[in-house]
Amino acid sequence: MNDVRVYISGMGIVTSLGNGISNTRDAIQKSLRGIRPLTVFPTASNQPLPVGEAANPIENHDLPRTHQLAQLAADQAMTDAEEAPDAVVMGVTTGGMLTTEYLLKSKASDPKMYRLHATGSVAEVIARRYRCPGPALTVSTACSSGAVALKIALEMLRTGSFRRVLAGGADSLCRLTYYGFNALQLIDPEGAHPLDANRRGMSVGEGAAMLLLVANDPDHAVAELLGAGLSCDAYHPATPHPQGQGALAAMQAALLDAGVSVPDIDYINLHGTGTLDNDISEARAVNALFSRKKPLLSSVKGACGHSLAAAGAIEAVISAISISSGVVPATVGCCHPDPELELDPVMQPSQEQIETVLSNSFGFGGNNAAVVLGACGKPKPDRIPDETRPMAILGNACITGTGRTGPTMRAIARGEACAGLLSQQEISTNLSAGQVRRLKRFPRLALSLATAAHEKSGAGDPPTAVFLGTGWGALSETSDFLNRLFKTGEQFPSPIDFVGSVHNAAAGQVAMHFQATGANITMTGGDYSFEQSLMTAGLLSKNNNHPFLVIGADESHPELSRLFDRSVADTSILSDGGGALYLRKGTRISGLTIRSVFFENTATNPEVISKLIQQIELQQPLHDRYGVILAGLPSASRREGEIQLQTLLAQTGFNHPVIDYRKLTGEFASASAVAAVIAVNFLQDRKIPGPLCGDKHGELGAKGALILGTGDFITAVEVMPQ
Amino acid sequence: MEKLIKDLQIKIVQVLNLMDVQPYDIKADDQLVGGDLGIDSIDVLEMVIMIEKDYSVKIDNKELGVKVFATLRTLAEYVYENSPELRN
Repeated sequence: MNDVRVYISGMGIVTSLGNGISNTRDAIQKSLRGIRPLTVFPTASNQPLPVGEAANPIENHDLPRTHQLAQLAADQAMTDAEEAPDAVVMGVTTGGMLTTEYLLKSKASDPKMYRLHATGSVAEVIARRYRCPGPALTVSTACSSGAVALKIALEMLRTGSFRRVLAGGADSLCRLTYYGFNALQLIDPEGAHPLDANRRGMSVGEGAAMLLLVANDPDHAVAELLGAGLSCDAYHPATPHPQGQGALAAMQAALLDAGVSVPDIDYINLHGTGTLDNDISEARAVNALFSRKKPLLSSVKGACGHSLAAAGAIEAVISAISISSGVVPATVGCCHPDPELELDPVMQPSQEQIETVLSNSFGFGGNNAAVVLGACGKPKPDRIPDETRPMAILGNACITGTGRTGPTMRAIARGEACAGLLSQQEISTNLSAGQVRRLKRFPRLALSLATAAHEKSGAGDPPTAVFLGTGWGALSETSDFLNRLFKTGEQFPSPIDFVGSVHNAAAGQVAMHFQATGANITMTGGDYSFEQSLMTAGLLSKNNNHPFLVIGADESHPELSRLFDRSVADTSILSDGGGALYLRKGTRISGLTIRSVFFENTATNPEVISKLIQQIELQQPLHDRYGVILAGLPSASRREGEIQLQTLLAQTGFNHPVIDYRKLTGEFASASAVAAVIAVNFLQDRKIPGPLCGDKHGELGAKGALILGTGDFITAVEVMPQ
Repeated sequence: MEKLIKDLQIKIVQVLNLMDVQPYDIKADDQLVGGDLGIDSIDVLEMVIMIEKDYSVKIDNKELGVKVFATLRTLAEYVYENSPELRN
């Protein structure tokens, strides 16, 4: 693979500072502060807290506010684009939550009204708008999401399989985050004063930024995305490592990935939220890395607030503005820089020649990301080519309504369904009381699966990276937080539930358990979340030999699951669970391998099944390659799914067993993770249990298994003998 | 004061879901946060909300929180001195 260089060919931004690149640049040049008392929703207090509220001209009342913000930014980024993007990657943490809060408050019970609740629906709306035929991926790693989305997009482009990726982040203000951060005493009642000696916290903001990233096409590009680095503190659910260890690791990884050295950095766009803990932790990391001479540095969060999942993308766009126009933002809100930070931040906007920028984004769960952008056309050392090595399966585990892996596989072998729900106690049998004290159903599932998959491998080296896919995340924590908020007249929200409600809290718990300080990614793409986490794991674990975990899990919630998940709404038995794989990249490892083979949108893609077949048959005919297809037919799109499956079977003449696995697992978004574990166990036994074969031959021989996803997307994951 | 300490012991175990801790395990003069009970900064914030809800006493900044939550007794004393309900 030749070295691919990635350029920003279009970008869009909307924040409390304004809409569009030129308005944003003007606001930065004038050091404007867009932080004012909240008006987006009414509050019980007559003195609402200051926030960074976007001046958002509503174009479409059918879309939740996050989707509208994303669309505004995406339209700007795509203004001059002549072709559809090959993929969309977005960082989103709250999705349609603002709309959902209204609906839950008014006791709306029609699942159709919640159809855009999912974080993943933002990327899907954007993908449809630009007729993107490829994957629409959603990353939810709290406040680093937007930056992590850029890293994933960068790696997709580096594979050479994608040429144009539309990537960024979006989040609107909502009660969950407004009251949640306040319950954690992380809000400055006077508005954020980042890096100030008298800082008292952050200001929650909202906004969106999107970047059209293109491979090897520097013409008319604004800047080059040189590299990005990820890490996890594995320290605490909501507090950064006091010495900034994770922040330092992410910055070092970003510089290495970008092929630049410390003195090359002209400007650092800090995470700089204005909380006591973030600013000191980040300052220690910056001082450790830039021990000789520090570059110019500032935080824009006192100007536009902290827009959570959008922040990393917003600050990447502002960094690109600094490179293209030379304007360096001031640290708006900072009057007396805190001497303890030893940072000397930029206090007035200045005009400089800026060629290389480092932009930091850190989030709950200790999820850290750093991005490096540079001026176009600078010579750059070639990167070490990425090796495409398979992911070897060293351990696996699942949980279903029947039980853990053993009882589940025995039920499957008898051809019996394992739908239903295990008790909270049964889920937690391998976890200590101290571990689960603050964890409700979803994080317990994830931690229990992770621990079991690692044990199954012989409990060797602990994993260093964690990739988790979940359709709906921590529903119990979210529901309990909102219920208590509403019941107490918005006075007494629970800080523990808020911290637990964040989608990536569970993966953060897994990281703390294993002290896994590598990438820690949570993907939330509805029924395709496990596939998204597996694909991301393949992209991000390229050049190392460390083991990692890929998990898919979802909890069933008595109230919210039926409202949010259309496949659950019309099922009689509530089910949940998931699967975990403990993996290592390598060619010399015996056993089974797993790989994401295909992921495309079906909306504007009539040839999608033919493309899937073509992709698989680059290796060998489908019928020869696989001895079984485990087909995912979510109830909400069963009719389309059956047509898609029949088309595939007809076009390939596949006549080995086809297992409609949701009939066994029950309906839940990450049921495909259980299917992956089932496939692994079939391949280990080299046969499909008789009751599942119908009149077909169940011997697998040297053939593999195809896990097919149908519905709004067609996905293919293969498990192969090595 | 002793009654308030007893009430707080029960409430803390309940609110923080301290599954393997009995109310009497929380000793009045032992370190409350960061000790054997496993109580950390997020738990402190949950207790802050409970104290405000049940006793109408606000503890709204970190510096004050560090002093008040030093031990169960310092917490009880602060609540007792500042709660309009308890003083009446």
